[in-house]
Amino acid sequence: MSKCEKCAFFFPIPEGDMDFEPGKGDCVRQQEDTKGKFWLSRPVFENSDACEHHRTQIN
Amino acid sequence: MGTTERTTRLKNRCRFKHVAGGEYVDAGVKAGVERARLITQSHKENIGEPNCVIRAKGLENILSNITVHIQDDELIVGANTEHPDYFPMYPELSYFATLDMVESQYCDHKDEMREITEYWKPYTIQTKGEKYFTPEEIGIMYSATTIQPPMFVTAFSSIVPTYESVLEDGLLKRIEEVEKNIANANASLRKSPWNAQENLHYLDKLDQWKAMVIAMKAVVGWAQRHARLAKIMAENFLTDAKRKEELLEISDICRNVPANPARGLRDAMQSKWFTYLLCHSIERYSSGYGQKEDKLLWPYFQKSVIEKSDQPMSREEAVELFECERLKVSEHGSTKGRQLREFFAGSNDLFILTLGGINPDGSDASNDCTNAILEATESIITTEPSISFRWNEIGNTETKQKVFNCIKKGFGFPSIKNDEMNTQQLIKYFNVPEEVARDWALVLCMSPGITGRRGTQKTRSEGGSDVYPAKVLEIALTDGFDEFFSNIQLGPKTGDGAEFKSFEDVWNALKLQLRFAIELGLRSKDVGRIMESTHLSCPFISSIDDGCVEKGMDANALAEVPNPWHNIIGGSVVVIDSMTAIKQLVFDEKKYTMAQLVEALRNNWEGKEEMRIDFWNAPKFGNDDAYADAVATKYYDLIADEWKRNTTYSGTYPLPLAQSVAGYIVNGPKTAATANGRHAGEALDDGGSSPYMGCDKNGPTAVLKSASKINASKYKGILLNQRLSTVLMNSDAGFDLWHAYMKTWHSLDIDHVQFNVISQEDMKAAQIEPEKYTDTLVRIAGYSAKFIDLARYSQDTIIARTEQDMASGS
Repeated sequence: MSKCEKCAFFFPIPEGDMDFEPGKGDCVRQQEDTKGKFWLSRPVFENSDACEHHRTQIN
Repeated sequence: MGTTERTTRLKNRCRFKHVAGGEYVDAGVKAGVERARLITQSHKENIGEPNCVIRAKGLENILSNITVHIQDDELIVGANTEHPDYFPMYPELSYFATLDMVESQYCDHKDEMREITEYWKPYTIQTKGEKYFTPEEIGIMYSATTIQPPMFVTAFSSIVPTYESVLEDGLLKRIEEVEKNIANANASLRKSPWNAQENLHYLDKLDQWKAMVIAMKAVVGWAQRHARLAKIMAENFLTDAKRKEELLEISDICRNVPANPARGLRDAMQSKWFTYLLCHSIERYSSGYGQKEDKLLWPYFQKSVIEKSDQPMSREEAVELFECERLKVSEHGSTKGRQLREFFAGSNDLFILTLGGINPDGSDASNDCTNAILEATESIITTEPSISFRWNEIGNTETKQKVFNCIKKGFGFPSIKNDEMNTQQLIKYFNVPEEVARDWALVLCMSPGITGRRGTQKTRSEGGSDVYPAKVLEIALTDGFDEFFSNIQLGPKTGDGAEFKSFEDVWNALKLQLRFAIELGLRSKDVGRIMESTHLSCPFISSIDDGCVEKGMDANALAEVPNPWHNIIGGSVVVIDSMTAIKQLVFDEKKYTMAQLVEALRNNWEGKEEMRIDFWNAPKFGNDDAYADAVATKYYDLIADEWKRNTTYSGTYPLPLAQSVAGYIVNGPKTAATANGRHAGEALDDGGSSPYMGCDKNGPTAVLKSASKINASKYKGILLNQRLSTVLMNSDAGFDLWHAYMKTWHSLDIDHVQFNVISQEDMKAAQIEPEKYTDTLVRIAGYSAKFIDLARYSQDTIIARTEQDMASGS
């Protein structure tokens, strides 16, 4: 199964930030509704199983 | 319309969270679950720790894990929930309030939230507080008839955060200070020889300080999450170069504050907003927007806008930032139980900031930051935040003209408070040094309290909660029993009104019923205060108060500067007019007996229309009528004396505050017919010295003269609503006439005044075609609302207010 680590929406937390933990990152997604666009960020770990929004990184 | 394309767009898509009839108006509004879920998870993992540490770890879990978001166009970022359409829930506060929300249409996660609600039941401050009251007392309080239900069941609170310490110090410096206190305490505990008297007090302090450090570090981390999100958006999601630049600046700001001191106005606004969210809706729920904003932001406004030395910006950009702030507040959602949602008809919550007045050195405090805030208020047109302006003799005319501009547009605010009177009150009653007293701001709708780095009001158990006087008079005539609404014994047995032989008999029954209601209300607040101190520590709020840091105390427990007050909500003038009519028609003229009156009221005047008209035509307060005004003076002196008999948690007696919020609407249907000729169920009067709807017939000066006969200095505030002519206010002479009116108001030593400036025709047209009047605002009592968001019943109470013609000269 794919892991968050390989997701285009996974961004590792920089070392030195208060909530830094090895393997921890921000899952950032764009949403849009009738009132406009907004971006959500929630913490995930790179070894978590991919969710329905998973998009594999292209690089 | 905003002054820029951005704020116009933001307003057009604003996710308002107003309520009407106890329900949210916008269809998309939902209850967020992440806060409740995260605090519950943490609570389960940390049971056994001291309460302050449990609470700090709960906050840490929320801030580290809640979904954060940034919306398009935003310049100020951060919210209290996982989605911009949501409001948070607080299962640790009130079981009833949470359950009400969980079972409502707004909660999509019912099973999970029911489980969370049940988990918290034994730990809520409701459960902890209820056991100190008899079932009969609980029944009286929860019926919301003579007094407001206690804070441990409404979960309603208010606070003035110590913003200054965050903006001036930054949290990293404060963490260092607290860690020094911990090190010093540990060293003292290990000194030889052992001295218990000198050291055992450190045990609790060490817990408090440890909790403060956990909380402050979590806050810095939460701001960093916003900094990362803004940067990720700029670098990965957006193509517009200008917005990318803005987001990188937002990222830089969130890296800097609240960890460090604010550099300029953008830092200060963001740091203030983060602090607001934490103190008012993340660590716990508290209503209000208490701050002296033009004083707080003035140093940063000077640096950025005037000197352009830090975060330089144009004045237009500053006005845009203040517009963004108003829209951010408009989007902010609060969770309240049904009674409070109904109490704030047409509103989202109570948000009141304070401007004007004088500086600690006695100079005029209105500055160009004041003017920019007022200009933004005038242009963006939102009901929130409301503004109170401190009217001081020396205040400059330019700023007063801008205050007038907002009022004449019909916003209903700024409301005006007498600066000298309110400053003196803090000095006289609460021993506040004069230079500190001069920095006062309203805590919530109308009560002044200090601002600054320490000693501000932290909880509504210090000041707030309500007595409902019209209902109290009703039961004073029925031996303390509520025949009309709750069918329970609401107060002591003070006799059947039909048997009263003198006006003093009526007066004495009213006094004893008031006494019971006041004492039960105050006791419930103080019991709540102990529950808050013991079970609801607020380590972040404590960490930003210099007094709490110095003393190692929780903010709920420390009452460094007492500020006790208690509301008397809607109905005071119904009582005054009723007692006046009883005095004249029953005891002076002997036209009717008390038995006839009690029977007529019990039957809602049915078959007694002629008698009702007699009572309706008796002298009324608000007409400079000596007979009615003498009763008003006697009533208000009684209220002040009754409050003065008590001593509250903070060691002194509370001052009463006469106002109504929307209590005059909500409590009307619970109140039987009254002796002022009012039918059962009809609205009460809309404030402390506002004449009853349509009963002030002798012009605006007569209203002011009546109001001036009440000794307002014994009160935290006495609300006066006035409706002014739109034609006159918008005429060339409008400002001069209003300014002359205000000078008269000030010279008469009246505490407060606020205005509705909207025509009868516009209100009636808005009832027929509401879609054409989306920006029409009206003043309810302590707050404003969109006219079209009000229920028809509430709209009609505004229409029924007398429109005063200031040019009449009477």
